[in-house]
Amino acid sequence: MNVKEYIKSGILEAYLAGELSEEEMLEVDRMAQEHPAIKQELDEMVRSINKYAESTGKQPNPEVLDKAVESIRETEKEDFFKALREPEEEIQIKRVNVVPVWTIAATILLFLSVGFNYIFYTQFRDAKDQLAILESDKTTLASQVSDQQQELQYAQLRIAHFLNEDNIHIRMDGLDLAPKSFANVFWNKKSNAVFISVDNLPEPPHGHQYQLWAIKPGQAPIDAGIFDHNQLIQELKVIRGNVEAFAVTLEKEGGSPVATVDKTFVKGFLKKS
Amino acid sequence: MSATVEHLTPTTALEDRIAYLLKDRDKSAITLIFENYGALMLNVINRILNDLPMSEDVLQIVLLKIWEKSNHFDSSKGALFTWLVSISRNAAIDKTRSKDFRLSQESRQGVEVVSISNAITADDKLEQMFAKQLIEQLPEQQLKLINMSYFEGYTHKEIAGKLDIPLGTVKTRIRLAIKHLRSII
Repeated sequence: MNVKEYIKSGILEAYLAGELSEEEMLEVDRMAQEHPAIKQELDEMVRSINKYAESTGKQPNPEVLDKAVESIRETEKEDFFKALREPEEEIQIKRVNVVPVWTIAATILLFLSVGFNYIFYTQFRDAKDQLAILESDKTTLASQVSDQQQELQYAQLRIAHFLNEDNIHIRMDGLDLAPKSFANVFWNKKSNAVFISVDNLPEPPHGHQYQLWAIKPGQAPIDAGIFDHNQLIQELKVIRGNVEAFAVTLEKEGGSPVATVDKTFVKGFLKKS
Repeated sequence: MSATVEHLTPTTALEDRIAYLLKDRDKSAITLIFENYGALMLNVINRILNDLPMSEDVLQIVLLKIWEKSNHFDSSKGALFTWLVSISRNAAIDKTRSKDFRLSQESRQGVEVVSISNAITADDKLEQMFAKQLIEQLPEQQLKLINMSYFEGYTHKEIAGKLDIPLGTVKTRIRLAIKHLRSII
């Protein structure tokens, strides 16, 4: 259909009279957009109809416009006052958080937790260190106590030997090798048991040991037993007979059957009774 | 009145101007719509209600609705006139559902629609008087068709029935009538 025929068809008159359905009207709009001649025809027709209405007094009552503008102003005024009356709502809208409140609370709790964890962990580590120190102190103390107890036992034992009326006490003094050395021997008259009190003897060189000898007149020294330098009181061998003196020599580890006389450290004679 | 003529030439620019003013929330858009499309819109409303005072009340509501819906208008979907007709029709149909409309329908049963007088009133302006005289030169039959189709809400079919002429003839004559009108004013 060409433009001229389209215009002649009378569809434009029907369009302006409001006789077409909305779909048909939109079709006319499409045609008018595509063909300027159709658009121009429509515009001219509108102009003529309006002119006619104007001249014949068929225009709508101007009061209609006045009332419409008035009601538009009213709604605008209402909207304005509504906006004034509800400022809190507006602010509330602005206050809406992008991040929900619970996540803020959770974050704060998380940071608090991390903080406390650090503090507690530090305290825990300090406590552990202190505990280790205390443990070591305790061990040291325990060993000290044990040492003290042992020393006390030796002392008590030594005193017991001194006080025992059955014992013969022989003090051995240091000879030329170690003049400051000394040791004591307790010889029980009833049991013939020999005890040595290692009071002050120098540390024996490596692979050597001290040995006690009983000396009888006109005899070679009799082995009275080897002893541990670190133990204060030790029970050694049983010695019987006419002993006039006791002496300590330094021998190779394990002891010797024959006394090495020139390595005599201490020697003491029995008191003549 | 000269303002109206000024707005009408050229009409393309007028439509664009109204669309722009609507988007800009300028109330002068409503005035321009009323001046340029008011009569046609009233005709569309009256076609449904068949009651001129009631149709004018509805037109007033329609103007407010246009203002409220002004940001809904999209010129890419159709012409401004099509949009205006759509709002006018919907408002008129809403009105037919009102108690107000039903009561008036009952009371006007049997009453003939009084044709609006063409007589010149005292306050008519000279220009208008001149145009009126020119219009009166048009054949009576053509004037009647224009009035019925554009101002009294009759459909082409109704006109055909009322004047007892074929529908095709009604269409042709209305076309001729407008053509005549255009040639004289």
